[in-house]
Amino acid sequence: MLVKIGGNFLGKIAYDWNPNIFRAFQINCPIIAVTATNGKTMTNNAIGHVFQTAGKKIISNQEGNNMETGILSTLLKNCSLTGKIKADYLIFEVDEGYVPVIFKDLKLDTLIVLDFFRDQLDRNGEVESLILRIQEFLKTYTGNLILNNDDPNVARLGQANPDNHNVYYFSVDKYDYATTDMKEAGEGKFCPFCNTRIEYEYYQYSHIGKFKCPNCNYGDNEIYQLATNIDLKNKTFTIDHTTYQIKFNSIYNIYNFVAVVTCSRLYELDIQIIQKALSTFVLNNGRLEDLTIQNIPTIINLAKNPTGANVSLRILNEDEREKELLFVLNDNLADGRDVSWIWDINFEELNQVTRIITSGTRAYDMAIRIKTAGYPIEKIEPYLDLHEAVENFYKTPTKKYVIANYTSLQPTRNEILRLNKN
Amino acid sequence: MKMKELKILYLYPDILELYGDYGNIQVLRYRLEQRGFQAIIEPYSIGDTPPDFKSYDLIFAGGGADQEQGILAQDLIQYKDAIQEAIKNGVFFLLICGAYQLFGQYYKGVEGEKIPGLEIFDYYTEAISDRKKRCIGNIIIEVNLNGKMTKVIGFENHGGQTFNSNTPFGTVLSGNGNKFGDTQEGFFLNNVIATYLHGPLLAKNPELSDYIIQYCLNRKYQENITLAPLNDDFENKCRQQLL
Repeated sequence: MLVKIGGNFLGKIAYDWNPNIFRAFQINCPIIAVTATNGKTMTNNAIGHVFQTAGKKIISNQEGNNMETGILSTLLKNCSLTGKIKADYLIFEVDEGYVPVIFKDLKLDTLIVLDFFRDQLDRNGEVESLILRIQEFLKTYTGNLILNNDDPNVARLGQANPDNHNVYYFSVDKYDYATTDMKEAGEGKFCPFCNTRIEYEYYQYSHIGKFKCPNCNYGDNEIYQLATNIDLKNKTFTIDHTTYQIKFNSIYNIYNFVAVVTCSRLYELDIQIIQKALSTFVLNNGRLEDLTIQNIPTIINLAKNPTGANVSLRILNEDEREKELLFVLNDNLADGRDVSWIWDINFEELNQVTRIITSGTRAYDMAIRIKTAGYPIEKIEPYLDLHEAVENFYKTPTKKYVIANYTSLQPTRNEILRLNKN
Repeated sequence: MKMKELKILYLYPDILELYGDYGNIQVLRYRLEQRGFQAIIEPYSIGDTPPDFKSYDLIFAGGGADQEQGILAQDLIQYKDAIQEAIKNGVFFLLICGAYQLFGQYYKGVEGEKIPGLEIFDYYTEAISDRKKRCIGNIIIEVNLNGKMTKVIGFENHGGQTFNSNTPFGTVLSGNGNKFGDTQEGFFLNNVIATYLHGPLLAKNPELSDYIIQYCLNRKYQENITLAPLNDDFENKCRQQLL
């Protein structure tokens, strides 16, 4: 948290001093922004990595400070005394609520929208009002707009400005674990244009999948980049006969990387460079991070909303080995005080999970949730104290999965990494 | 001997599910099955065959997003008579958040547009003109369950202010309730509990869950059924921490 405050500090002072400060910068390069509920940091960093591999000088908020003060801090740290920014590209992840605020005064060249899920409803309000704000912003926007065509709430943004001819949709072909029923809570059940119930051919996860409105054909867009041959085991996918090797094995990351490829191709980066960059890209910050702790393989992932948690459990369930789970749940202000969302997590079909430890300020809520899903009480251990939780977690040599929400992620990661120093 | 069972109708599970409302159904099922009763859960949503409301022991409905709630209000209204009959027959209703509002006279939105309710109860709801102002936060109320005062813990998140609930569910100990800074929360009349305590209300309130289960079993089987105690260790610790 200290790092986070540090990252925003400059920007906070400047923004409080003058909310129009964004106008003061001289920027002569394209600005690319990524927004979404889930996947912003991963996608932003991957785009940065690809562009850097291609030899471009980029400025980016890679540590994830994505509100107006964070973007401002990044600009202030990288400008000359006269406000001049020297880079080939500015690449930002932007909080979904702040797109209209930040780009009121900064000219945006490309906006990428990945997904909208319910997320901290007590802080953000309903997903719908968030989408409407971005839609309002897009009504006069004519830059590139890269949209996930498999999220009905994202694809609809393509019609916000009929005069914008720079809308590019991407999509991902059905993967092995796709289903015909929705397995996880999702949004956008009704067509935003005619209120008809939307029909799905399949769901990849949550409400992401191939959909169409049976009444007005909404969703039936021309696809600019389509990923096929999704192979999570070998971590590969194909676009236009080119196969990309990545270091992640989850369906939601496939979507992130297809967005990365789409953006990179739009700026005409060389396919071989994109391939090379993606094959080496990792993110060491607890986002689907692989660690070995006291010789025990450990996977840590952030989950700040039901969809995030459910995709983490998908990865866990797609792994046939025996494993133990640590779930850390805080209810600090930045997490959202409301922990109701944990009831939208699918604990019903756990595969080969031999023990679950819960921790964080709401460890007991989590324990009740998991117990009610039918998981044996005697295999659930709640500890309010994180240190105690981690100590007990590593008492067995079984493979470890760790899921932590927003404010609990870094403390959990640090507590776990500390075991290697002992 | 045939297993004793409760039949639960889950209204609009695909629409009224904003805050993990399904949790309540899971808790009821869990507490029934642990005691050897069967829970038969039947969903109903727009486009399904009309349900026979009075044939159920318990009817549950949760809260949804504003846009979707408007769509389903039109659907629900066709069952007004059947619902009224079920209530009269003693079927238990647990209505949360949006469903609470829908059973009243009307919901008046920010722009003054009125979504008519089922008009089954006298209360009515009006949105605050300032869209950003909502009653949000942890809430604790005190509830009278068969003469036993019980603290019910939950979370509220509503812009609507509900007026004229003459028989509230509970007295607010901390939080807002029916309106900003209210002393009363929800609506409670015999076999109907309606409340803003959203999502998995029953998860942290085993006494309330068992009160509902007991009521439904007594009504259905007309014999003295004692509910076996369950291991509520996590629930008790959770309550201790939050209270």
